[in-house]
Amino acid sequence: MNRTPLLLCSLLTLAACKKESNGPTSTGTDGFNTASVLNAFASDVAQDNYEELAQRSASLRDRLVAFSTSLSDGDLSLCKQRWRDTRLSWERSEALLFGPVATENIDPRIDTWPVNFVDLEAQLSGNHDFTAEYVSGLEDALKGFHPIEYLLFGMNGDKSAAQFTARETAYLIALANDLATLTASLDASWDPATSGNYTHTFISAGIGSAEYPTQRAAFEELVNAMAGICDEVANGKMHEVLLAQDPLLEESPFAKNSITDFTNNIRGVENVYLGRYSENGAGLEDFVREHDLQLDNTIKQRIAAAIAALGTITVPFGQAIIDQPVQVQQAVDAINALASTLGGELLPLVQLHVD
Amino acid sequence: MEHGMKERILFAACVLLLASCRKEPDPWSTMERHPWMSGGSQTVFDAGAGAFGHAFPEMGGAALELHGIGDSQFEQTFVSAPAPVNPGLGPAFNSVSCTSCHIGDGRGRPPSASEQPISMLFRLSVPGTDAHGGPVPMPGFGGQLQPRAIFGTQPEAGVTITWTEDQVTLPDGEVVYLRSPQYTFTDPYVPFPPDARWSPRVAPPVFGLGLLEAIPDADLLARTDEGDADGDGISGRVNTVWDMERQRESLGRFGWKAEQPTLLQQSAAAYNEDMGITNPLFPHESTSGQPQYDGLQDDVELTDSVLRAVAFYVRTLAVPARRNTDDPQVLRGEALFSSAKCDRCHVPEQRTAVNVAFPPASNQRILPFTDLLLHDMGQALSDERPSFGADGSEWRTPPLWGIGLTQVVNGHQNFLHDGRARSLLEAVLWHGGEAQHSSYAVRAMTTGERAALLAFLNAL
Repeated sequence: MNRTPLLLCSLLTLAACKKESNGPTSTGTDGFNTASVLNAFASDVAQDNYEELAQRSASLRDRLVAFSTSLSDGDLSLCKQRWRDTRLSWERSEALLFGPVATENIDPRIDTWPVNFVDLEAQLSGNHDFTAEYVSGLEDALKGFHPIEYLLFGMNGDKSAAQFTARETAYLIALANDLATLTASLDASWDPATSGNYTHTFISAGIGSAEYPTQRAAFEELVNAMAGICDEVANGKMHEVLLAQDPLLEESPFAKNSITDFTNNIRGVENVYLGRYSENGAGLEDFVREHDLQLDNTIKQRIAAAIAALGTITVPFGQAIIDQPVQVQQAVDAINALASTLGGELLPLVQLHVD
Repeated sequence: MEHGMKERILFAACVLLLASCRKEPDPWSTMERHPWMSGGSQTVFDAGAGAFGHAFPEMGGAALELHGIGDSQFEQTFVSAPAPVNPGLGPAFNSVSCTSCHIGDGRGRPPSASEQPISMLFRLSVPGTDAHGGPVPMPGFGGQLQPRAIFGTQPEAGVTITWTEDQVTLPDGEVVYLRSPQYTFTDPYVPFPPDARWSPRVAPPVFGLGLLEAIPDADLLARTDEGDADGDGISGRVNTVWDMERQRESLGRFGWKAEQPTLLQQSAAAYNEDMGITNPLFPHESTSGQPQYDGLQDDVELTDSVLRAVAFYVRTLAVPARRNTDDPQVLRGEALFSSAKCDRCHVPEQRTAVNVAFPPASNQRILPFTDLLLHDMGQALSDERPSFGADGSEWRTPPLWGIGLTQVVNGHQNFLHDGRARSLLEAVLWHGGEAQHSSYAVRAMTTGERAALLAFLNAL
């Protein structure tokens, strides 16, 4: 799934020159406290990001409940904003697509694209109660962010309160409830209070973790996740759609939110790099600055350049691939450049200095 | 893409560096023989969640671009027709995308108590053989159970698994619980015929397959020993299957019983049977001839170019490097793997054929730990369902490369064709038939020896 090239020879080379490891320690080879980066990632990025996602999903559901009784355009507008807020938290968390979100199959259940319009319309014209159990058992292309987006914003993004049927609002509430349930379980899976939580798995890298035999493996996971989402945004979400010149392939077309989605993916990469979400802890940033100030500078510049390039696209993405192809291509190039730095420079640095 | 150029420069730099700090006079041969290089020059160094999902590192330009197109298609979700994007799902199906079974390009597992099978399926047949020697599809169901369906179509049946546990006490006192499954098919949309046969299969990992496809037929045939002429208790034979593209018999390589001859056919069959997507190799709906056939005149639903891009994607997924190969415990485990004769079937080393048409997979020394042959694995693992030349208890030796990364990529350690084993040790202990002696050898090991063997497997 990741096309970022890995440097097959760099590790061989470095290992050939390196001294034998003395087993897992809380510090890397050069005295930097590598454990602090893992701890801060788990507590300041993963936990905060997923907690925010779960809270916003619940808030979206609650707001939809309010809308279903008022059916006012004011409440609809608030629901749309809640969807965007929740979407922001999710897109930022896509920079850490490993652990329970992947292994517990949560990603496809909340973010499958495209929408199955035929079956969705059939659900709406049917008469089955949208109970939590029923919706949870529906196919992935009938639930999660994009069916909610479609029902909330309408095919052209301009749906008004008067256009909602009772069945649509009932389905929407059930979908948001399912989203809230799944994101709550994702939040719980990283919560240190949950038994078997992934925070423990991650921060015990090199000292008994089932998944991460070394701290280096956990560091590599972070860097590969960052590089992986850059590759996904630049090539999967943007470049292929640009090449196909087909607006139908846009991911969040109804809310016209794709550029914001892409930008939040890169913001997510920045969060992982800085080790911050609501709070700023020790990050990869601090590790890099310890070893290579120039690389720290390059990474920050490339993150900023990628976000700035996305910012030059001034129309919705589906339109931009036709009207602003140069800006789209420049954003693709800027994000690929960031991916290159992460995979080609940050990864070897991690492999050199973390045992 | 700048990947190709950049890599060449880096590679050259690395070789220079390597030469500068090691004594070996010839870094090229050192590199090739290095025990880390599971996939030859197509080895990647990633021991994390993405370990199985990398493109061949020694591949650039148009080939890398094509891999990317296949990668994207591998992730596409299909929906009910008509639809603006990816129409044609079902009407009955197992899954909506390639990646929803092959999560992280890795291994599937049996469902937990509250789930329906997601990354596991059931092959179905009735007694007899078809025109090409293959199994006869089950009336009303076809060759595979589709437990999901689009709106308005009934799932063919649900599946309930009940597990029975048996306690095994090893000579050193270690107690292992082996669980075996019993399957109940619930609410079939039409009754199962009384002579129905089924075979459970979890989704196998999909990396490194292009290298396995490139091993010459002759090398596989050379290892066969159908009558056990050497008297070591281990036979091994090829499955002979039908090649849909070339319309002739061919040597089977892929799938749990080596029922597919090529990655193209494997991919095309999966599109058709797993998702209900018709394609040039399988132009008829999986439900055709069944009561739930949709009758839509929209076939084929997948173009030849997309099918070939996906087959190319799978063909060019790199192999993760081995780890800790100089660790004393791992080395000890490697020796035990050999002395227990595990390596007779899980053959460590193979070499791919010279192929000037596709240099990335050409002439590579690889470490897949498989002979790709069928072996009798004993009655306890039998599915009682012959498929081409493979009888119920015969299974193709699965490759072991990357097996130690299953936990980090897929979050579980469920092994064997039906995922019954919950650890590598359980998987070893299930080995019967030709592998019975190896299994006994592992049982007889001291605690430390067994730990070393498992350390070796986990470092693959």
